[in-house]
Amino acid sequence: MAVSLKETYELLGCIQCGRCTAGCPVGFRTYLNVRKVVYEGLTETGPRDAKGRPEAWNCTTCSNCTDRCPKGVKPMELLIGLRSAAIEKGKAMPTVRDALESTFKHGNPWGRGRDKRMEWAEDLDVPVADEGEEAPLLYFYGCTPAYETRAQDVAKSLVRVFAAAGVPYKTLGTAESDCGNEIWRLGEQGLFELLVEGNTELFRSHGVETIVTSSPHCMNTFKNEYGDLGIEALHYSQFLKELLDEGKLELPTPVEKTVTYHDPCFLGKHNEIYDEPRDVLNAVPGVTFVEFDRSRERALCCEGGGGRMWVEAVEERGERIAEIRVNDAVALGADYLVTACPFCLLTLEDAVKTSGNEGKIEVVDLSELVAMAL
Amino acid sequence: MNIVVCLKQVPETAEAEVKLASDKKGIEMEGLPLQINEADNYALEQALLLTEEHDGDVTVVTLGPDSSDEVLRMSMAKGAAEAVRLAGPAFDRGDPVAIARALAAAVKDLEYDLVLTGCMSSDDGNTAVGMALAECLDLPHATYVTQMEMGDGEVTVGRELEGGLIEKLKMKMPCVLGIQTGINEPRYASIMGIAKASKREIAMKSASDLGLDEGSVGEEGSRTKLEELAYPPVGEGAEILEGTPAESSGKLAEVLREKGFV
Ligand code: SF4
Ligand code: SF4
Repeated sequence: MAVSLKETYELLGCIQCGRCTAGCPVGFRTYLNVRKVVYEGLTETGPRDAKGRPEAWNCTTCSNCTDRCPKGVKPMELLIGLRSAAIEKGKAMPTVRDALESTFKHGNPWGRGRDKRMEWAEDLDVPVADEGEEAPLLYFYGCTPAYETRAQDVAKSLVRVFAAAGVPYKTLGTAESDCGNEIWRLGEQGLFELLVEGNTELFRSHGVETIVTSSPHCMNTFKNEYGDLGIEALHYSQFLKELLDEGKLELPTPVEKTVTYHDPCFLGKHNEIYDEPRDVLNAVPGVTFVEFDRSRERALCCEGGGGRMWVEAVEERGERIAEIRVNDAVALGADYLVTACPFCLLTLEDAVKTSGNEGKIEVVDLSELVAMAL
Repeated sequence: MNIVVCLKQVPETAEAEVKLASDKKGIEMEGLPLQINEADNYALEQALLLTEEHDGDVTVVTLGPDSSDEVLRMSMAKGAAEAVRLAGPAFDRGDPVAIARALAAAVKDLEYDLVLTGCMSSDDGNTAVGMALAECLDLPHATYVTQMEMGDGEVTVGRELEGGLIEKLKMKMPCVLGIQTGINEPRYASIMGIAKASKREIAMKSASDLGLDEGSVGEEGSRTKLEELAYPPVGEGAEILEGTPAESSGKLAEVLREKGFV
């Protein structure tokens, strides 16, 4: 790298106030100190890649630090840059390497074959656009709901909801590929660009006008990082809200449960979508909604983002944040901890088990809650 | 220290339903991603680690179709200095010895202290090219190498034997080693790195470039000939557990308990 970290990430503005570190969800349970990383970048005294600074892999890319910085410094981008520098040297930990190689070969980071991508839809009537066939309204189900058995419930629920509302959607079947959101955050910019190119061409060949995604992560990258894609990208919570407002989706079956809602970082903090999921949730009859103390822009991150699904966290200590979240939800008296992201679903559900709360609370995706009310 | 690594590109079949091609001489390749043979990837990494530590260059050599350039580029992205591909119809359908003969003709003119190969290929699984190559080059050879310690003009290798045993051999260099998976942790080749490597030259060698008599390589130079590939006959005693993952894993646990495995 010819240009210094200081110049690339405009670190000179930093006044070392420490707001970034104070808001960092992993700072108190790993030795990632993002203010220090900025300082050492600024003074050129620190390692120049994540190989020399392995704690950079702990960042969940929740963007708290970048959002909170009063001087417009971008600490999160610096951390991703350190990952990139390591990736360029081939220094990716084996789990990350495997996820990246799998994405290149199979179009998904889970090491699974492309021809198995639609197995989730096997017994369901899911419309697939043939090559070149118009698909103005595309449901982009995503890699994790395609392959991860628990997350498959998200896709399965959504297609039931779409069918009930008579939505004229299509999927791309096994031609769908990874969106690249996590790939970019793992620091593999070259692979990200390849995915952007391939996906853009694919969407255009189907005349896509609107993409509805299962995951906030896919929506985020389509909306914010695909350049002049010219396609509206919606998370399904936004889309369901529209369907409810237009009277196209009816939810007649009461779900008599006390429910709280965990804001996924890529829906909330990254895209300021706080109201739609709550509106959809409250449209389910019978639901009693209780709000977390730390919600909306103050919500805790579940630690499932930023490629962390494929990262072995470096020197963690103490309670996982997802466990704190689950304990808080139990204390609120919630039957269901609802979220709207496949990664949150997996990390929170895992945390129910590891925090000894099995049987006390269930983690439910918003799509599942809505499907229950059909 | 200079090292030559012989490697090949193979289809990835772990996730695929493998179907025989209509002529039964191969499998249907459509839709199968191509990649570096797994053990060869470890051989390449081992060569890169050694040359990083002891100074020197890695040259990668393959025999294969145009698509194999991809594994050579990936190798260069990871740090290989030179790449050679043996190409041309004369090499087609060679058996392991004919392939080794061709590789030996390319390797003998290179400068090297070690020749590394993967210990076996994941497609044909003959485990033979490395040994035959050593024979053609008249060099000592060891298979299933999981440990290497460099000495002065010699290398001490650990070979993986059955039952967790390791056989230690002291070998004079140059020698040919068949590297076993797990000896190291292969690095990642970034897409940017591969794109940069695609501008670098790959030395193409035909049989005549290498001074090889066409009858000595490829199908003509082979003493064995592939007659036909076939599916193994369906055996008995297998039980397919039906149901959702939760149900079938429950049934599996029951079976394991019943049979006294847990
Ligand atoms: S919040 Fe911004 S200004 Fe404050 S220490 Fe962090 S990077 Fe520097
Ligand atoms: S993005 Fe989030 S996890 Fe990463 S350093 Fe910033 S605050 Fe910490």
